[in-house]
Amino acid sequence: MITVVGAGPAGLAAALSAANAGESVELIESGARLGGQYWRNLPNSIVVDQQALNHDFQSGKVLREKVQAHPNITVLLNTQVWRASHEEGISILHTISGGTTREIRTNKLILATGAYDRTLPFPGWDIPGVMTPGGVQALLKGNNVKAGKKIVIAGTGPFLLPVATGLAKYGVDVVGLFEANRLRRWIWQLPALLNNISAIKEGASYLHTLRKFKVRVQRGYAVVEAHSGSDGNLSAVTVARVKSDFSVIEGSQRKVVCDVAAIGWGFTADLSLAGNLGLMQQVSLLDGGTYVVVDEHQGTSQAGIFAAGEITGIGGSKLSLAEGEIAGSAAAGSETNTSKKRKLAKFASALLRTYPVGPNWQSWLKPETTICRCEEVTLEIIEKSVLDLGATDSRTVKLFTRCGMGMCQGRICGRSVNDVVARISGKPASDADRVSSAARPIASPILLGELAQIPIVD
Amino acid sequence: MIFFFENNEIHAIAGQTVGSALLENNVRVLRRTRFEGAPRGMFCGIGVCFDCVVTINGVANQRACLVEVEEGMRVEGFQR
Amino acid sequence: MKQPDAIVIGAGVVGSACALGLAKAGLKVVVLDRGPVSGGTTGAGEGNILVSDKEPGPELTLAIRSRNAWFEIADEIGAGFELEAKGGIVVARTQVGATALSHLAKRQQRAGVQAHELDRSALHQLEPYLDPSIDFGFHYPADAQCQPMLSAAQMLKALRSMGGEVITGAAVRAIHTKDSAISQVVTEKEKYSTEIVINATGTWAGEIAQMAGSYLPIAPRRGFILVSAPAPNLIRHKVYDADYVANVASDSTDLQSSAVVEGTKSGTILIGASRERVGFKSDFDVSILRILARQAISLFPILASVQLMRAYRGFRPFAPDHLPVIGEDGKIKGLWHAAGHEGAGIGLAPATAEIIVGQVLAREVFMDASPFSPRRFIQESAP
Repeated sequence: MITVVGAGPAGLAAALSAANAGESVELIESGARLGGQYWRNLPNSIVVDQQALNHDFQSGKVLREKVQAHPNITVLLNTQVWRASHEEGISILHTISGGTTREIRTNKLILATGAYDRTLPFPGWDIPGVMTPGGVQALLKGNNVKAGKKIVIAGTGPFLLPVATGLAKYGVDVVGLFEANRLRRWIWQLPALLNNISAIKEGASYLHTLRKFKVRVQRGYAVVEAHSGSDGNLSAVTVARVKSDFSVIEGSQRKVVCDVAAIGWGFTADLSLAGNLGLMQQVSLLDGGTYVVVDEHQGTSQAGIFAAGEITGIGGSKLSLAEGEIAGSAAAGSETNTSKKRKLAKFASALLRTYPVGPNWQSWLKPETTICRCEEVTLEIIEKSVLDLGATDSRTVKLFTRCGMGMCQGRICGRSVNDVVARISGKPASDADRVSSAARPIASPILLGELAQIPIVD
Repeated sequence: MIFFFENNEIHAIAGQTVGSALLENNVRVLRRTRFEGAPRGMFCGIGVCFDCVVTINGVANQRACLVEVEEGMRVEGFQR
Repeated sequence: MKQPDAIVIGAGVVGSACALGLAKAGLKVVVLDRGPVSGGTTGAGEGNILVSDKEPGPELTLAIRSRNAWFEIADEIGAGFELEAKGGIVVARTQVGATALSHLAKRQQRAGVQAHELDRSALHQLEPYLDPSIDFGFHYPADAQCQPMLSAAQMLKALRSMGGEVITGAAVRAIHTKDSAISQVVTEKEKYSTEIVINATGTWAGEIAQMAGSYLPIAPRRGFILVSAPAPNLIRHKVYDADYVANVASDSTDLQSSAVVEGTKSGTILIGASRERVGFKSDFDVSILRILARQAISLFPILASVQLMRAYRGFRPFAPDHLPVIGEDGKIKGLWHAAGHEGAGIGLAPATAEIIVGQVLAREVFMDASPFSPRRFIQESAP
């Protein structure tokens, strides 16, 4: 039996390829529906032509239906793995579903826990109305709800385009689409980008649609501050021209009135379970993110555990599908074909090089800017912990200031805190420091009452 | 279906999340922070940031962006 | 070569308190730590400053002095480490437990500890969410709390302002002696000539003793702390079952637990105090979390609907007789140990430092510290 955690593109592909190889598969998903963030879809109670509005909806639907219909696959929805461990080749997953806990033991585990929007702190980013592109997208694709009436989309990366396009199609006024990186980076990477013509065509079709709605991508601009109105909600953002290192070109600032600003800077892998399981991780030179180290066949540092999709490096849905398929086959002991993956990985690397995050985003910060949203820790407090109290790394800063100790357990601020502490202390963050900021012994909160009721297994 | 946010009736469609239903009803401020009392709303929208946490039927710290609406549900955002 | 008067190894709370004490006495002090400030057991502590959990005897004398010394330090260096006299409440749930608790409290009272007997209504006035079936306990108003990591950092900040040096990321590679007396400490980057070394490396104190050619039988006793999601104002004191005192003194290697539950200023609730002797094993089993959750809920049923957000572990340094090790080494002159406080190192740090400073300078100390002397292990070390 093979256990797959996460039912996004990688997890679905993994489950299907393992099942097709004759294995029985248990597919665990924390959400209510299959598809993950990429193929997010509406509940049956809301009837909308999703295919017309979402690019690539159909291929997701086909895959979801195949997985659901496959006799070898058991799907466990609304099931959260809140803690995992690994000992002597056996992985133990502790799950909670509708108040019921369960322990799953497996000797073949495929982890496909995906990624979420990378965010950067900036003045006002905690005002209601500042969101992530993924959040705005989830409201639309998963709930049929428009996040606002006048929306600014900003940050960097190819994901901004489908989000803006989706909103425009739904009749939202996209008042600005700001991509911090410039076109010349795209040209530099052109040879590698040509590895995936269909993705380039997809991008072109978004641009074409956006033109119809009179939305133009403004490159070399970033949202550097958010402002709230008298009701406490977002009323406007300050947009500025930025250099390639993301420092602001003085005098270029202007205000854009909006009720929602969706800002994302690429993606951060969700490594909570990978950390629980003790999988070797490393910091990528491409985007500075931390990822699970895998071999050609998606095998990790632990026997019997495979990883696929965004937790092994940000690469988009097509690469996730390819990796999932390989992981499923490898876990089932079948032949794998890695040529498609290699080609897609080249494209993914080129994209990451096209949309880097410049280090001087930190120049946007003010002393009173919140860095850790959960525990309300400001830049000033972090600075004091380093300069005054002698903290030398992010872990110590966390112990002194509580930043990263709140409910999100550093998912949002962890990476930024690494960068901020490195700048203040003048000492680059070590890989160990970066990996440890994503260590979460409790991968997802569980009620103490539910925990207390777990039966004793000897 | 109908649920309640801070004792106000909110109309929603089954299958929607609490957060999305509130947003559709123009409720953006879901809670205030415990130290500064600052307003917070939906941020990541996918269950990662825990900024949209509300009390649902008496259980605190539930993510409004993940929990689906149920008939008669009582949602509170502001700690008393 | 640098020539400080004294080297303190360990930038945890005990090392920081010793370093500050020595600097106040006019010594030139260098603090060395292989990791960051508060990187060891201090960084995993709850910040307990308790008098309620000690049997009358030398450790209680140490605890009472130390509790007051914490407040003196806060006045002196300008606080900044969340010191709070929140008070402890010990409850008993059985007749046997109640009798034992009464007996302990009376003896503690004779030793100078304030302890007030509580009936059901008094208990529930102090802790409204306590299980309504609990009807007997004692209130210890002197029990206090600090933020341990900040406590160490603030003391080291004060030390630096007095000319002391704190060097983190500097593992000690060798400790040289001459005629069985300390002569030199060597790190990767630096050599120090000194006659005084304070070994404040807690759970790792045995390694330092060995490096200097001596012996200390200090071993790790693992503990877990559960941290809830924010649930402000539910729990106001440190609350625990009388069984806790028995567990602290236990010799068993098995998992023991008796939940100590407390609310914090930040709104989280800490549930602590599992004790296991499993070496430096960091991975953990869900059964430990479950036991702590059960015990916490049995004290405060409302916790069943509070979320567990985080869990962390630490390694308490313990000696075979469960007493701290404070004083000069039995073999090496100039090597002073300040370690082995088990789960009480945060609370006992300032008084430990007073003993060390007093003994180093051959001054009178507030108590007879001979029960803590490392000399008690000399016979054990004989091959």
